[in-house]
Amino acid sequence: MEKNFIIAGFGGQGVLLAGEVLANAFMMAGKNVTWYPCYGAEMRGGTVNCEIVMNDTEEVSAVNKKEADFVVALNQASVERFVSKIKKGGWMIANSSLAKEIKTRADINYLFAPITKLAENVGNIKMANIMALGVLAKVSRLVTLESLTEALETVIPAHRKHLMPLNLKALKIGYEYDLLPV
Amino acid sequence: MAALTQIFKIPDSIKKGAKYSFCPGCDHGVAVRLVGEALDELGLRENTIAVASIGCSVTIYDFLDVDSLEAPHGRALAEATGIKRARPDKFVFTYQGDGDFASIGMAESMHTALRGEKVTAICINNTTYGMTGGQLGPTTLLGQVTTTSPTGRNVEYYGYPIKIAEHIALCDGTAYSARVSLDSVANIRKAKQVIKKAFEIQLHGLGFSFVEILSTCPTNWKMTPQQAHDRVRNQMMEVFKPGVYKDITADRN
Amino acid sequence: MTECLTKTGKKVLTKGNYAIANAAVIAGCQCYFGYPITPQSEIGEFMSGKMQELKRGYVSAESELGAINMVIGAVSTGVKAMTSSSSCAISLMQEALSYAATDELPVVLVSVMRGGPGLGNIYPSQGDYNQATIGGGNGDYKLIVLAPSTVQECVDLTYKAFYLAQKYRNPTVLLADGMLGQMMEPVEFGEYPYPEIDNSDWALTGAKGRTSRVIRSYGPLADDRCVFLKKLFEKYKTIEENETEWEEFNTDDADIILVSFGGPSRNVKSAMKECRRQGLKVGMFRPVTLYPFPSKRLNELAGRTKKFLVVEVNMGQMVRDVRLAVNGKVPVELFNKPVGSPPEVDDIVNEVKRQIKE
Repeated sequence: MEKNFIIAGFGGQGVLLAGEVLANAFMMAGKNVTWYPCYGAEMRGGTVNCEIVMNDTEEVSAVNKKEADFVVALNQASVERFVSKIKKGGWMIANSSLAKEIKTRADINYLFAPITKLAENVGNIKMANIMALGVLAKVSRLVTLESLTEALETVIPAHRKHLMPLNLKALKIGYEYDLLPV
Repeated sequence: MAALTQIFKIPDSIKKGAKYSFCPGCDHGVAVRLVGEALDELGLRENTIAVASIGCSVTIYDFLDVDSLEAPHGRALAEATGIKRARPDKFVFTYQGDGDFASIGMAESMHTALRGEKVTAICINNTTYGMTGGQLGPTTLLGQVTTTSPTGRNVEYYGYPIKIAEHIALCDGTAYSARVSLDSVANIRKAKQVIKKAFEIQLHGLGFSFVEILSTCPTNWKMTPQQAHDRVRNQMMEVFKPGVYKDITADRN
Repeated sequence: MTECLTKTGKKVLTKGNYAIANAAVIAGCQCYFGYPITPQSEIGEFMSGKMQELKRGYVSAESELGAINMVIGAVSTGVKAMTSSSSCAISLMQEALSYAATDELPVVLVSVMRGGPGLGNIYPSQGDYNQATIGGGNGDYKLIVLAPSTVQECVDLTYKAFYLAQKYRNPTVLLADGMLGQMMEPVEFGEYPYPEIDNSDWALTGAKGRTSRVIRSYGPLADDRCVFLKKLFEKYKTIEENETEWEEFNTDDADIILVSFGGPSRNVKSAMKECRRQGLKVGMFRPVTLYPFPSKRLNELAGRTKKFLVVEVNMGQMVRDVRLAVNGKVPVELFNKPVGSPPEVDDIVNEVKRQIKE
């Protein structure tokens, strides 16, 4: 089985880091995984995205895939850019704090969550990316909170370890957010 | 009959049977010999890695009986840096011409000095590209006729010659920078002491050490050896004044 | 990032650039010299900390000219050393590579390709296939060129690059691209798996108790040069016989064989599988060594397949070597993308179908 994910947003929203945490979580769960960032001119100010390809059979995955199973879009520009890339029956997880709740496709699932607002409530707007992973974990059922927690332990550097409790809180709130497709 | 005492011999650091290949009256021969004597006197021959450069200076490895590496044009001090970083216990020096050191290799030279690499550079300044037939180089004097300055070096087309020893002295990583001349016996003796001093600076790990040697090029200057040495004395030494431009050990004496 | 990499044990998720750097450290690289350029700057960043921590050699060089010549200096004394760079900056190193090949010095160069020509851009590219395999330096010489396709292979082929460089006293290039440099995958850093090569018979260490040595490329006599070059090319022949490496899948019954190297070969492999799923007889061939190029094997395969389709992210460079190998036996077509991430799998599949129909 192969599943691929796109996480996208503004520069500064921690999109690449969220992807790195997700990829680590897959690795820790024993899967093959590839994290592939967009980089270059796009990294300065515009939208940023990364692709995560998880595969539990093939060792080597293709990247730059035409379609994604899951898109996590943290802003409106990312929703617009990637909605057409979602596979039929796939998921658009969008940050309704920064994106309009408009469903342009009938053949995919949408989940709108006010991720930035929720992160503010936790006390740190920078937790939006990790909160989004919590939402994704629940929706996709492909990664567990345990794996994500373990991944955070690895990815968060030593001098930021004091932020670990906040990250875990964000992850949990994201995971427990009302998940009925709206 | 009184017993004979040997007072003059070929240094051990000079290859036995090496055939002299420089032009008559060229100071490279004297300079290489002084380097060989200095290596002998400091007991360095077996611990030395020399870097040859491109130009007449490249043939140093035909004369010096030490391990040697031939660098591309201008890169001698980059290679010396690599050697010294890989083998900090080795004695490492380059032997370069002014074109190699101060034109094509200026970036490598300045940055080696700025980094304070614990290596020594010997630079032969003969105000021309000797090996290629006497073209204008970075140290060609104003007014000097070369094959690429047929009416003499003028500022409008060529700009100014560089005073290498003074510039290298300005680098914070430089521990020692001096200019010497080989135009007279007295100056040759002085040059020997300066080369030895530069080597000692490296041996003490004090930083980059540099010796610029004013030299003749009778062939390309179209002069006799005597005329060439007169030119060094009367023209070059007026612009490129011999002296010690930096010596971080001087204050300690 | 740098402190989390370990020598052995469990898998770690890491970028290709860090994987290469850490592998070099494990391989025993004693000196790193470099100058920054995207998309490989992480290698120098990693090395700056690691080499100082380990009390090994590190210089932030004044230029790529400086960096590659520092490597020449270091390896001439018998230690392992490397530099890394990209595309337009590797152009600056061509002179030194020609010297190093002639001096027979085990220089290791990591080339993380970006878009060209000129300043180009920083997107992934395979535009330096020619630069690596043919080279821009003067005279007759060859560099060994290894092309990884995954982050794990970045590790394994870095080890191999040091080994082959030492074994054959020949400059060796690890030819990655921006895609692999920036990509993260789980990797394991095993022990350096190759034997250490004795270099005491040529390295410059000071002429203690032996005659002095000169490492030089200048040979004033034409006859001497003939002898030297013939000997050098005997060595290249040995390398070709012993070290040519490739991967092939489903080539036995293939009507068409896809040929691809490096990072983009991942998508080509997926496309080949998709074609097979759809019942098309498609095979795949991936050169791992670009020099020596697996020409002989391609020529054999040309006897049983009907067509080759070379997929590259450049304007068509390796296709020339495939055509030389196939030598007109069957058509060799090109499907290329000038620059950027690899072609999408579907696009490759569609091209295969089009080629089969033709």
